[in-house]
Amino acid sequence: MKVITAWLPTLITFLPLIGVPVILCLPRKQTGWHRLAAMLATLPSLLLAGYMYALFEAGQKGMQWFQSFVWFRIPIPDPQVEPWVFHYSMGADGLSMPLVLLTCIVSTLAAAASLYIKERTREYYILLLLLQTGMAGVFLSANFFLFFIFFEITLISMYFLIGIWGYLGKEKAANHFLLYNGLGSGFLLFALVGLLLLSGNLDYGVIQQNMAQLMAHPELVNGPVKTMVWAIFVSLMIAFAIKLPIFPFHSWMLRVHVEAPTPVVMIHSGILLKMGAYGLIRFGLGIYPAFMKEVATLLVILGLVNILYGAILAFVQKELKKVLAYSSVSHMGIILLGIGSLSGVGLQGAVFQAVSHGLISALLFFLVGSLYERTKTTELDELGGLAKSMPLFSGILLVAAMALLGLPGLSGFISEFFAFLGLFKVKPVMAAVGTLGLILAAVYTLRAVLKTTFGPMKQRFVKLTDIHPRETVPMLVFVGLIVLIGVYPDVLGRPMQETLELIVSRIGG
Amino acid sequence: MNVLWIPLFPLIAFLLLTAGRKVWSKGISALIGIIATAFSFLLSLPVLWESLAGGKTIVWKIPWFHINQQVIQFGIEAGPLNVLMLTIVSGVSFLVHLYSWGYMRKDQRINTFYAYLTLFTFSMLGLVISSNLLEIYIFWELVGVCSFLLVGFWYFKPEAKAAAKKAFIVTRIGDIGLFIAVSLLFWQVGSFELSDLKAAVANGQIEPAMITWIAILVFIGAVGKSGQFPLHTWLPDAMEGPTPVSALIHAATMVAAGVFLVANLFFLFEASETAMSVVAYTGGFTAIFAASIGLAQNDIKRVLAYSTVSQIGYMMLALGSAGYVAGVFHLMTHAFFKALLFLAAGAVIVSLHHEQDIRKMGGLWKQHRWLGIWFLTGCLAIAGIPPFSGFFSKDEILMSVYADGRQGLFSVAVIAAFFTAFYMFRLFFMVFSGSYRGEQKIEGIPRVMMIPIIVLAVLSTVAGFANTPGRLLEHWLVTGSGVASDSLHHAPGWIPVLAIAVSLLGIGLAYVMYGRKRLAPEAVVKAVPWVYQLVYRKYYIDELYQMIIVLPLKAFGWFLHGWDRFIVGGLVHLSAWFVSFLGSVGSRIQNGQAQTYALVSLIGLILLIVGLTAGRLFE
Repeated sequence: MKVITAWLPTLITFLPLIGVPVILCLPRKQTGWHRLAAMLATLPSLLLAGYMYALFEAGQKGMQWFQSFVWFRIPIPDPQVEPWVFHYSMGADGLSMPLVLLTCIVSTLAAAASLYIKERTREYYILLLLLQTGMAGVFLSANFFLFFIFFEITLISMYFLIGIWGYLGKEKAANHFLLYNGLGSGFLLFALVGLLLLSGNLDYGVIQQNMAQLMAHPELVNGPVKTMVWAIFVSLMIAFAIKLPIFPFHSWMLRVHVEAPTPVVMIHSGILLKMGAYGLIRFGLGIYPAFMKEVATLLVILGLVNILYGAILAFVQKELKKVLAYSSVSHMGIILLGIGSLSGVGLQGAVFQAVSHGLISALLFFLVGSLYERTKTTELDELGGLAKSMPLFSGILLVAAMALLGLPGLSGFISEFFAFLGLFKVKPVMAAVGTLGLILAAVYTLRAVLKTTFGPMKQRFVKLTDIHPRETVPMLVFVGLIVLIGVYPDVLGRPMQETLELIVSRIGG
Repeated sequence: MNVLWIPLFPLIAFLLLTAGRKVWSKGISALIGIIATAFSFLLSLPVLWESLAGGKTIVWKIPWFHINQQVIQFGIEAGPLNVLMLTIVSGVSFLVHLYSWGYMRKDQRINTFYAYLTLFTFSMLGLVISSNLLEIYIFWELVGVCSFLLVGFWYFKPEAKAAAKKAFIVTRIGDIGLFIAVSLLFWQVGSFELSDLKAAVANGQIEPAMITWIAILVFIGAVGKSGQFPLHTWLPDAMEGPTPVSALIHAATMVAAGVFLVANLFFLFEASETAMSVVAYTGGFTAIFAASIGLAQNDIKRVLAYSTVSQIGYMMLALGSAGYVAGVFHLMTHAFFKALLFLAAGAVIVSLHHEQDIRKMGGLWKQHRWLGIWFLTGCLAIAGIPPFSGFFSKDEILMSVYADGRQGLFSVAVIAAFFTAFYMFRLFFMVFSGSYRGEQKIEGIPRVMMIPIIVLAVLSTVAGFANTPGRLLEHWLVTGSGVASDSLHHAPGWIPVLAIAVSLLGIGLAYVMYGRKRLAPEAVVKAVPWVYQLVYRKYYIDELYQMIIVLPLKAFGWFLHGWDRFIVGGLVHLSAWFVSFLGSVGSRIQNGQAQTYALVSLIGLILLIVGLTAGRLFE
């Protein structure tokens, strides 16, 4: 047991891969078995993540289960310079813990939601498991190089998942995805090299210390070093701005939302976008607290742009998935508001929003996927009156919509409330502008949902069958989690508070 | 902890009904709802009794969650105002649950109906006993969503769908005001607890300008929920919902929540002269504005809806004029007589095969004499004829406004009283007197629907004596809340006489026009056609909002849509061009086919080289 506890982060990251050889051994035609094997392969990580959460010491500020080994070294010809040492460092703190749990939950449920995938299922599930390893690794690594590698793993597996199993415009969507995210990783790589040059060791703790020292001695920061420090900061910001995405870098994710297969969009919208938020907090606030203070107002303005831009565009979309895609843009803006508030409660709101939106959007895309399987369309004008033939579906859709527009008692509200509360402390006027987004959220969400389930029913939908228990059960798990966080926010909030306070304390008064 | 169980019973019923969606028969579903609310009501009676007997405010709190290191509580605080609301809500709710069994008996989805109705009752009961502002906000939104669900209960009707959406969005505009107020108050006071807020206001911890802002923001929330001008437009449309819903949510309880909120946070409003004026003028204007629209409507439920808007305007007017007791008193009497009127109207509608146009009614007195008597009771109560309850509460409002010294508002209130009497008796004569103008046969009314109507008729008759002559209600409310009692002894004695006179005038005019038909309504319409059109079209407010808000938003949305597609989307092509440019360079070097991913790695490689070269510069 002790061994397991010590190796928790590594185990959670790599255990999904045990499913790969199993799936390879299964007969090619047995798609149901593949799905079962993949689901079972995600379970150990889920259980261990739950175990980790249970063991998590809320009172501790730093990394827990921190493990670090020397992985490899690059000697520098110049004997006066220390060789570059690359560590294999893993660990979890209050920031990563909720996101790890989210990753494992959404991954398992996405595997369960893969019942609409009928072709080349072996390859599909192998890539899905690889994707999970990548995502868990992103959140659990404690070294920037390792983070980068896991980040790239998610890119590659996503690229193929979109390009092979997507809908009609899948190739184009996959290419756009790669184009933007490739650019993003370019910036990330630049930052990596820069940090390597400045710090020599890429463990988060070490980078943080070195950077803090550098900041404490302004006389050291001049000329090229100063340029370098800023350049790293800016490229980190751009890399994560593309991922989140921040306006105007959002157009790639619209295509992905529309074209990728249902379970992949669940993961994409549910987890991958949140890597942007994680990066902004972990590397932005974590390494560059002083710089973040300078750009805080800019972040809030960008957040407001995201909120209103996404909301207004969601309001005029004619297709359900696009409504949800733009609503994601809008909701990511709330994360920016929380980060830009630079306050404990605002940051808490940002992380809450990451988790909550992860659950809500995954559920919504699951619902849309199950809808498409039956109606073969997601055009709003062609839908209508589905509450009659699909009451259970409509009920769950209504709950998810209510969560999306921030109904109290569900997780969306508490996240928005924290983020806005944080911002109201420092920038009340901007926060008040942002609340317009809450009204617009009701407008576009209700428009889309009522067009789908309310109104007179179209003749061709009379014989639709309601959702099957295979779909209902995972959906209800989502609903349960959304309600749990909404009613008892401490379940999510307690573990993160100390870590976030530590981050805020570094920013200073 | 009896108080805790009062909202819990309906919640349990909701969970049972939702879980057993396919299990319970129609009868069992109705029974679950009725029994749960009956328990709530029975439990609220001893609480009321204790409070009346001078019991202390009931306080119960548990830790709920943390903001930073601070513990946020979840709890109950039940002083006289809360206990009064608790009793009214659980009582009316029980009656409406009972009535619905008759009204909805033919509907296939009665289970869902009762599930929504019990969820509403839970939320509303939670709202009136919440101990902190965040909790109030949460329940505030929950009652809103239940209202949305029930207005859109007949989801297949396009009108119901539109009305539900409108109800949600328009009230949400108001809710945002409350949301901002809650957030601002937290940073001013450092707590959401009402008791802490009260102490902070009393200590002068908050700047006066801030208090005014916050009070007005809270009031915006109340304006949205209570259908006050300019956010009143959703309430008449909400009549698309089943009639029991209109009675419970859109007349007796939820729409009065705005009044309750202002009364509950009265300490905040009292601290700001400006905020009080805003409340008084908004209320006064809404009272006459909605009453005037009510004069010309032909849908029985819409007349009642505008009447509700107008009556709640009265309550706001009272509160804004420092008439705390008068406002709450009218809230109580209104809950009884308006629920009565709606339930009676529902009985009329059921007997006429869901016909709601009063031009196609008439002569029901012969067929349904008793229903006519109960309806008349409601009309007399709302018109303010003694000894019916509305007389006493409206009289107190008029006296408070007079004592507060705003003569203009006083005149407005008197004129609105005249309008009220007129449109109510127009309704009464159109429905019950003369001869039947419809084509379908008049049906009987299920007995289960008559019981609640009778109970409410009795309450509408006697409820006025709660504060007259003993001023029992006032003593009770004032001792618990610390609000100064209404300064009514300064008010002159001619006010009640004037009030009765204008009411009789309104009734008389309605009798002449619609009872005796001596003066043809058409002649009046012809005399002032544009005034009639303006009133009949509800002052074109809906059209105005459509023009200045909805259409511009849509136009802007379409503009942004094009912008997003061509300008922002164009960025993709720009970066694609950039990559293929690099790619062509790369492919020449590698002398092979360049796959996209390889290209991107290439960018990485270039950056790596640049980085390493740049690194040399430092050394």
